[in-house]
Amino acid sequence: MTPSPGLGLPRPSRRGLLTGGLALGASLALPGCAYLRDDAPADAPLPPSAKAQVDGDLVYFNWADYLAPAVVKGFSEEYGVEVIESNYDSMEGMYAKLAAGNQYDIVFPIAKWVVKLKREGKLRSIDPAQLTNADQVFYSGSYFNHPWYDDGSEVSVPFTVYKTGIGWRTDKVSSMTGSWRDLWNDEARGRVFTLDDQDEALAMAALILGYDVNTADPGELADIKDLLISQKEYLRAYSSDDINNMLGGDAWVHHMWSGDFLYLQRGLADDPAMFAFEAPSEGTPINSDAYAIPANARHPGTAMVFIDYLLRPENAVRNMKYLFYPFPVKDALPAFAELTQDAPACQVDVADLENENVYRLLDTEEVQRRAAVWTEVKAS
Amino acid sequence: MATTAPRSAQRTWLWGALLALPTAWMVAFFVSSMVIVVLLSFGRTTNDGFPVFATSTASYEALWNEVYLELFLRSLAYALATVAISVLIAYPVAYAIALHGGRYKNALIAAVVVPFFASYLIRMYAWKALLSDDGLVNSGLGRAGIGAVTFLNTPYAVVGGLVYGFVVFMILPVYASLERLDVSLVEAGKDLYHGPVRTFVHVTLPATRAGLYGGILLVFLPALGDFVSAQLLGGASTYMMGNLVQQQFMEGQNWPLGSALTVGMMLALTVLMVVYLRATSTRAREA
Repeated sequence: MTPSPGLGLPRPSRRGLLTGGLALGASLALPGCAYLRDDAPADAPLPPSAKAQVDGDLVYFNWADYLAPAVVKGFSEEYGVEVIESNYDSMEGMYAKLAAGNQYDIVFPIAKWVVKLKREGKLRSIDPAQLTNADQVFYSGSYFNHPWYDDGSEVSVPFTVYKTGIGWRTDKVSSMTGSWRDLWNDEARGRVFTLDDQDEALAMAALILGYDVNTADPGELADIKDLLISQKEYLRAYSSDDINNMLGGDAWVHHMWSGDFLYLQRGLADDPAMFAFEAPSEGTPINSDAYAIPANARHPGTAMVFIDYLLRPENAVRNMKYLFYPFPVKDALPAFAELTQDAPACQVDVADLENENVYRLLDTEEVQRRAAVWTEVKAS
Repeated sequence: MATTAPRSAQRTWLWGALLALPTAWMVAFFVSSMVIVVLLSFGRTTNDGFPVFATSTASYEALWNEVYLELFLRSLAYALATVAISVLIAYPVAYAIALHGGRYKNALIAAVVVPFFASYLIRMYAWKALLSDDGLVNSGLGRAGIGAVTFLNTPYAVVGGLVYGFVVFMILPVYASLERLDVSLVEAGKDLYHGPVRTFVHVTLPATRAGLYGGILLVFLPALGDFVSAQLLGGASTYMMGNLVQQQFMEGQNWPLGSALTVGMMLALTVLMVVYLRATSTRAREA
């Protein structure tokens, strides 16, 4: 049995969808002048939280297709507001537009971008007392009362959490070992894919070597470079289009995101048993997305109502069944457990969240050093 | 008392006015962005990731890296292969339409052009779906008794993507020059040289040289800077200059280096273009 390839293209992973470059011109060129400035305000006091009251239409700024359309439409109907949607295709693009002064009511930054936006005073406080469903994510003992990226969850509400691991074809490969070394699997030689993502690729090698996933130490980076270059003879390509690579039969072993794997297995495959996912024993990077309200939002009240609406367990479940990315919403967790029954490694539990394998906001010099290594790996 | 300006002066004024708008547009959006790129190539990045203008030559010093040279040569090779294949495809297509298209000429040219209205990116994704190991093409080959072929993630796929993406820029200028070709010249050539091959080499080809030279430029330049084909159809070792530049502006957080790479590439291309244009204009004069 083969997975359905054909022309019925699945919704590509939001990160696999390469729109970066094409939209880059448009998104970065015009705000260019505003973006080039000498100093960024640091540690500005946070603008106060808005009340959860509708105060206009919702100007919504997200990855394309990253919430169930029916849920968004439901909000529009229930509250009688229009949802004006714009999309970004990279965090850099999202950031550039915010930095240029564009006004949006709600954005969905990845954890380390919450750190950056908060530090620069670009986000408004969110008072959980305003949200009737706050207890779904901020219950006593919840990790998200003090997430690493936003202590006290002052400016963000958790949206999704996911991990990075390895997906593989059970009908082609039988020698998986539960280690990141499986990306050097002999059976799959020439059909292994590594994510085309600087952080993820360097982290995978760092975990094998026992280094921190954010390492910028020149000696450690040199080791990482050698290790990644040694993988090239096994590789078919670097690609973040993990779903399509697996579905099209090009990949037998794929470095991939847990949410993409679940979408592949539960949403697209004819035979779910043909695909399996492991969370390697050396450790797995954990990442999360959050809801946040920009400081210059014109309708922060509507945004608060929208966040509250998304936190309703039934809406979290509908979104999860569309996105296949887990939401840390308490009463929606059983539904997620059901989704992951064939791939328990896709579960993200508290222990995963508390490990240190998160992508932190690094200094420019560190990012550039890491980028140089990644360039040399890809160019070699 | 109103004086009427002489007619020719009036006309000059009109042309000037007509030119002003496009000129302003080009200055505002084309020249200024070039200037920003050049200025930024001497810039630096602040500690929290902002590119700022400065007077640093660090990015240019970083260009002396054999990895970049290798990437440039690889991109050059892909772009030249793309040009060569495009010529082989475009010339017969343009020839058939121009000389044998009859009253369907315009419809045929439209058929060539219309697919290019769809986003390049979407068309690349479509190729990916078609050419994957379990894709439509391979399942067809399987049914025909031919074994599966690994198309994707190879240099061939990258060049194929580039050809598909840009071949229309070769077809159109060649078609235009063939359209203008005086058929009586070909008739005369047949009398003079006997045989279609010699006629083609001595009459048709020289007469369409300008279109061909133009097409070569129009295909070569975008192919050299492209990153979409390599990213979607390429493999582990098909990274191109375009990918490198894009990486600096995104994950690499190094706009100055990205700008310096862009400027370096523009300079290298300018040299190549000058050499090319001098060679082709000499040839054109000889023809």
